[in-house]
Amino acid sequence: MDGNYNNYSSFGGGGGGGGFMPGETNSPAGGKTGDRDNKTLRPVTVKQVLDASQPFPEAPFQIDGADVANVLFMGQVRNISSQSTNVTYKIDDGTGEVEVKKWVDSTTADNMDTDDGKAPGDGKTELQLNGYARVFGSIKSFGNKRYIGAHSVRPLSNINELHTHLLEATVVHLFFTRGPPGSAPAGGNAAGTDAVMGGADNYGAGAGQNKALASMSLVAKKIYNLLKTEPQDDSGLHMQVIASKLNIPATEVARAGEELLGAGVIFSTMDEQTWAILEY
Amino acid sequence: MSLQTPRILPSHLHAFHPSSASSNTVRILGTVTALHGATGTLTCGTNGDVTLILKSDARLQVGKLVEVVGKVADLEGGQGYGIRVLGSTEWGDPADCDYKIYENVVNATHKFKSIFYE
Repeated sequence: MDGNYNNYSSFGGGGGGGGFMPGETNSPAGGKTGDRDNKTLRPVTVKQVLDASQPFPEAPFQIDGADVANVLFMGQVRNISSQSTNVTYKIDDGTGEVEVKKWVDSTTADNMDTDDGKAPGDGKTELQLNGYARVFGSIKSFGNKRYIGAHSVRPLSNINELHTHLLEATVVHLFFTRGPPGSAPAGGNAAGTDAVMGGADNYGAGAGQNKALASMSLVAKKIYNLLKTEPQDDSGLHMQVIASKLNIPATEVARAGEELLGAGVIFSTMDEQTWAILEY
Repeated sequence: MSLQTPRILPSHLHAFHPSSASSNTVRILGTVTALHGATGTLTCGTNGDVTLILKSDARLQVGKLVEVVGKVADLEGGQGYGIRVLGSTEWGDPADCDYKIYENVVNATHKFKSIFYE
């Protein structure tokens, strides 16, 4: 009988610890979906585009371990080369240079592309050599060459937009490498979901549990500490035992237990009322 | 790695001097406050001035906000560091730019080098 519980608890522990790998938090399960379901537009620097990795050929590009569908960046136009089917721009944002291809839409090209040597633009927007442009598109590669398949290349006229873009790119980079803002200091809005979703993995398991715990009720904390310190076997402690040891009504213990269970810091073992700490 | 041009403020000039840095091409934003033939003065918000060593075909205007790409160089007569202008982009009225954002950009770009300059 004990053997069964041992198996069960080790299963529970293992299941809780694994499942989500750091850095994999926003890959869809199984990784079967491609660009189609990922409609995000991520602010980046040219350097990030050049550094983007591809786990295997034809896979979506990844930056900071997260799949990127579309990217947005701003930089100076260093070269414009117009061909019959596309216009290729060389964009330099100070962090690197990348080629951007904008396919010419034949329906709009007819009425817009009247001046030789000028880029076909939509309406009055005209890109100038060494002027700034705002590009959004997706990362492509052809042979060993990386380029941007652009959906839109427009001139940029406000310098604040350029600067805030660089700051946004930094924020998003930090989001993916360090987790959401506010999760670093313990407590506050760090809800139990962190532990459940694996977001806490970045910080080590212990910190993650403390973080989840910080936002919980006093009773929940007491229960957690009791489970941590009280001698017990693999199946943990029964709710009634906890209630009597802490001298707290069973209903309150049940409610606090729900909290802890929901956050994934404890798990139920032999039945719904017996809990043990989920160790990573 | 393609050419990178780190965004800086006047206080960072020394770090990009040819004697101490392998790359000394930088980007700096400021208002043109004086022009004297071959040189000019770029005022960078409240962060001080930089002397620009101009090309003969430079077309800078006093009172305009410009972003300069150039190489850090010694000034004649040992007057410290200046920037030899390679190219400049005019951004119009300095009042349209919040220089504070640029200062934060400079700080962020040097703090998180991995996505900007390395």
